[in-house]
Amino acid sequence: MNLKKQFIEGLLTQNPVLVQVLGMCSTMAITTSFFNGLGMGVAVLVILTLSNVIISAIRKIIPDKIRIAMFIVVIAGFVTMVDLLIQAFVPALSSSLGVFIPLIVVNCIILGRAESFSYKNGIAASFFDGIFQGIGYTVVLMAMCIIREFLGAGTFGAGLLGPDAKGIQILPSQFPAGMMTMPVGGFLVLGVLIAAMQWALNKSKNKEESK
Amino acid sequence: MSDKAMTKEKVNMDPKYIIRLTVTLLVTCVVVAGLLGLVNKVTEPNIAAINQAKTEQAMKAVVADPENSTFSEALGLTEEMTAAATNAGGTLTEAYEVQLGGESVGYAFKVVAGGSQGNIEMMVGVDAVGAVTGVSVVDHSETAGIGTRVTDNENGVLDQFKGKSAADGTLAVGTNVDAITGATVSSRGVTAGVNAALAVAGVMG
Repeated sequence: MNLKKQFIEGLLTQNPVLVQVLGMCSTMAITTSFFNGLGMGVAVLVILTLSNVIISAIRKIIPDKIRIAMFIVVIAGFVTMVDLLIQAFVPALSSSLGVFIPLIVVNCIILGRAESFSYKNGIAASFFDGIFQGIGYTVVLMAMCIIREFLGAGTFGAGLLGPDAKGIQILPSQFPAGMMTMPVGGFLVLGVLIAAMQWALNKSKNKEESK
Repeated sequence: MSDKAMTKEKVNMDPKYIIRLTVTLLVTCVVVAGLLGLVNKVTEPNIAAINQAKTEQAMKAVVADPENSTFSEALGLTEEMTAAATNAGGTLTEAYEVQLGGESVGYAFKVVAGGSQGNIEMMVGVDAVGAVTGVSVVDHSETAGIGTRVTDNENGVLDQFKGKSAADGTLAVGTNVDAITGATVSSRGVTAGVNAALAVAGVMG
């Protein structure tokens, strides 16, 4: 178990969104305000960690043939629990994320990590994999939220101080391009971020090779 | 090759293996379902209370006297009421009687009408003589910055419905309703919802 390596993988070299390109639907749909990004990121982090731990714990008794079905049952169970808990205790988040919480069931980051990591690794390693991959996902979501909110509405931190709180206006309100908060803005920002990530990864790889 | 295929076939058909698959999956499902039941039991009262508070808040926003008004339990919807709403371009989902000191002073209707990106769910208050007392959007998926200008009541676009009644004829954007520039479809959606509520109020007398 190599925590540092896992951490760097989750955040950078194997970042779930920018490198593995998983979980695109939620990434595109909900990254319109700071509050949404943070809430979604944390929800996925919690579910990913829990499902990683459980799947790793029962990996030896899961027959290979039905592993995907087993993964989905475990994941769906946790998602529904988290969904109910959010509805009951953080209603503001549930009304702004709406259907995207239940849709975490089909977020491929969670199924992807179950299949590629926790099914093959120990409980502790899977636990940290969940945390680090979750952080990697959350960081990208927040970055997208901040960029889209800034360019699209000219504000920062909308909803941070309450579901209806408007963010701090940075750009005067006549400048922002409303399309950045629409799906097209999601594609643009995500594309630019993935390109930047690949560029940075390639650069550091070349550097290592030339040494 | 054929040898390998044969063993594979054998494994697939092995009843013990099939039973193991079934039992494992079944046990997991039962355990997960049990846990979900437990969580549901804990969260159910909270969720019900939150939904109740939300509905009440939306109703308070559309009555003339929010301080003193009380609301009945949800009324039963008759076929006549839902048909009237449908003919006016909306869908009636809930109806409540608004009471002031125990006397009925009007109704609050929850209606759904199509917006530009999806359904707009709104609460419309109607008083005893059939005039709108207020409109408030409960849920919507309109475009941020465009359609939301309508749902957020920018320039009082929702307030303009106050006092309108069936006597004004069918409300329509451009004739007796002002739309928000660029958000015509959202404005039309809200208007359709108000028309539906007025139609239902007309049927109820």
